[in-house]
Amino acid sequence: MNTIAFLWLPDEIAVKLVPVAIVFGGLLGIVPFLVFLERKVCAFIQDRDGPSRVGLFGPDSPFEMLGINTGKRRWFGGFLQSLPDAVKLITKEAFVPEGADRLLFALGPFFALMPPLLAFIVMPVGPDFELFGQNIKLQVADLNVGILWVLGVASLSAYGLAFGGWASNNKFALLGGVRAMAQMVSYEIGMGIVLLSVIMMHQSVSLREMVNHQAASDCTCNWGIWHQPLAFILFTICAFAENNRLPFDLAECEAELVGGYHTEYNSMHFGMYFQGEYIAILSMGAMIAALFLGGWHYPGYNWLIAGTALDSNWRIFAALLGLASFGFKAFSFVIFSMWVRWSLPRFRWDQLMRIGWKGIVPLALANLLLTAYLNLPAQPKIEKEAAKPAPVAIR
Amino acid sequence: MAHGHDDGHAKGGGHGHEASSGGDPLRKQTFLESLYLPEIAKGLVHTLKHVFKKSFTVDYDGTEKSNEKKNHIPRAGYRGEHYLKKDDAGHVKCVACFMCAAACPSECIHIEGAATPADWKDRERYPKRFEIDMLRCIYCGMCEEACPVDAIALSPTYNVVSNTREEKVYNRDRLLADGVHYGLSLSRHHYRPDGVPGATPASHAHH
Repeated sequence: MNTIAFLWLPDEIAVKLVPVAIVFGGLLGIVPFLVFLERKVCAFIQDRDGPSRVGLFGPDSPFEMLGINTGKRRWFGGFLQSLPDAVKLITKEAFVPEGADRLLFALGPFFALMPPLLAFIVMPVGPDFELFGQNIKLQVADLNVGILWVLGVASLSAYGLAFGGWASNNKFALLGGVRAMAQMVSYEIGMGIVLLSVIMMHQSVSLREMVNHQAASDCTCNWGIWHQPLAFILFTICAFAENNRLPFDLAECEAELVGGYHTEYNSMHFGMYFQGEYIAILSMGAMIAALFLGGWHYPGYNWLIAGTALDSNWRIFAALLGLASFGFKAFSFVIFSMWVRWSLPRFRWDQLMRIGWKGIVPLALANLLLTAYLNLPAQPKIEKEAAKPAPVAIR
Repeated sequence: MAHGHDDGHAKGGGHGHEASSGGDPLRKQTFLESLYLPEIAKGLVHTLKHVFKKSFTVDYDGTEKSNEKKNHIPRAGYRGEHYLKKDDAGHVKCVACFMCAAACPSECIHIEGAATPADWKDRERYPKRFEIDMLRCIYCGMCEEACPVDAIALSPTYNVVSNTREEKVYNRDRLLADGVHYGLSLSRHHYRPDGVPGATPASHAHH
């Protein structure tokens, strides 16, 4: 019965561990690359080279030591820079400041890192395909309340910042934590209303069904961005605010608050905040891809599937292409958020609140009403048509 | 006025900032500006253009080879490690007045004064001990500003490394030797933009 025999777990649970391991391990492993990317984007925008030494190219690379001039270090040099950075973070002393609440201090980074990871498990990153006679879903858990799960889990990450700010016994950290809380709560409301109109359009809260709706047509005309352009813009703004990214990074603005909620953190405690931040950007990118950019769908998918209905190898190829398409969309958002970060100054606190409450919430409500109006008129028409023949029947 | 901000980009070419707003910074926002998004788009286009510009980074690996174009010689006025000066008789100029130690915000200067030897006719005191802890120093240059006899100055040296903390506490003789290295009469003014040519940092780079 127990054919896999992993940790004496029943088979159905052991099988489930595989996608969990892939998603969690993959996401954690991708963070160093995202950090490298962020530093390169920053450097290029500021007319610099960025990290250019550690890696296969650059002055300290193995090639250069052998006397081979590798060149091109502006683009590819320093590719492994995050590796020594990670070693440094891990080997540093984990220091807890005097008077800190030790339990909350340790819980803070955990609450910052786990929610974005958990949000990822409902992401349908690719279409289904058959492998070894089994139907493989490229999704860890197909929850029928997908969006609600993401929203609920995402609001947990506010605790990470609040705990960090409160437990540090540092007034700058506390201010940062308070700001982060107020900001995330404010923008979550706008985000929730924006999502309502998307849910209303798809008549479903399952991310999987939403993506399947969007994938119905090959011309991308079912993609959410064409049906809900305003919601797309508002959601993107809210995503920046939820991630505490510039121009909404008031929770950690270095000029006033030293480092904000993570002022007192170092070593891997800080590293976890860092990882959480980048995974949160990636999961927001995945969310935007799934809701507005057609998820894993790409132009030509239906044609590819229809033409090769029986060939399972082609279906796997089509599915992997879908996976790449999803990754491309999510990564585009990550790059875009880096681009925005190094282009804009941050908003003042009053501007932030004004945009949230007087800009996004009313616009989202208007969008909700408009969506409701556009999606529901079919019903009264049917009633009228049904009502018309009735008098005829009486005559 | 728009071009005034672009002086930093000598190689970048004269790209004026595309901001439509000219003149009065206190005028009210137009409706489009209050939406932020069009202005943000403008900013994004501007930064995107910079991605394709020539990089200012100098590939410096600490060797003379990478210094061929003299690209990373500090500008005039750069504040590097200190040195002590000597007067024409070859004596240390310092009179052990403690003004620099008092002005130092990081308290890294330690001086022990003593009466001068009998043959020093021009002053009564000199520093028997003069130590600067380079690890504490923040290179603010306040010591140089405070010195009434122009005896201490900051050189353009920035790339000296040590293996221990003790090595980074420079004593009087080391500081004086550095002073000789930079030339006896070299005053801080030579490192300013209006300085005397020939006393620029380039002249001692091969010393």
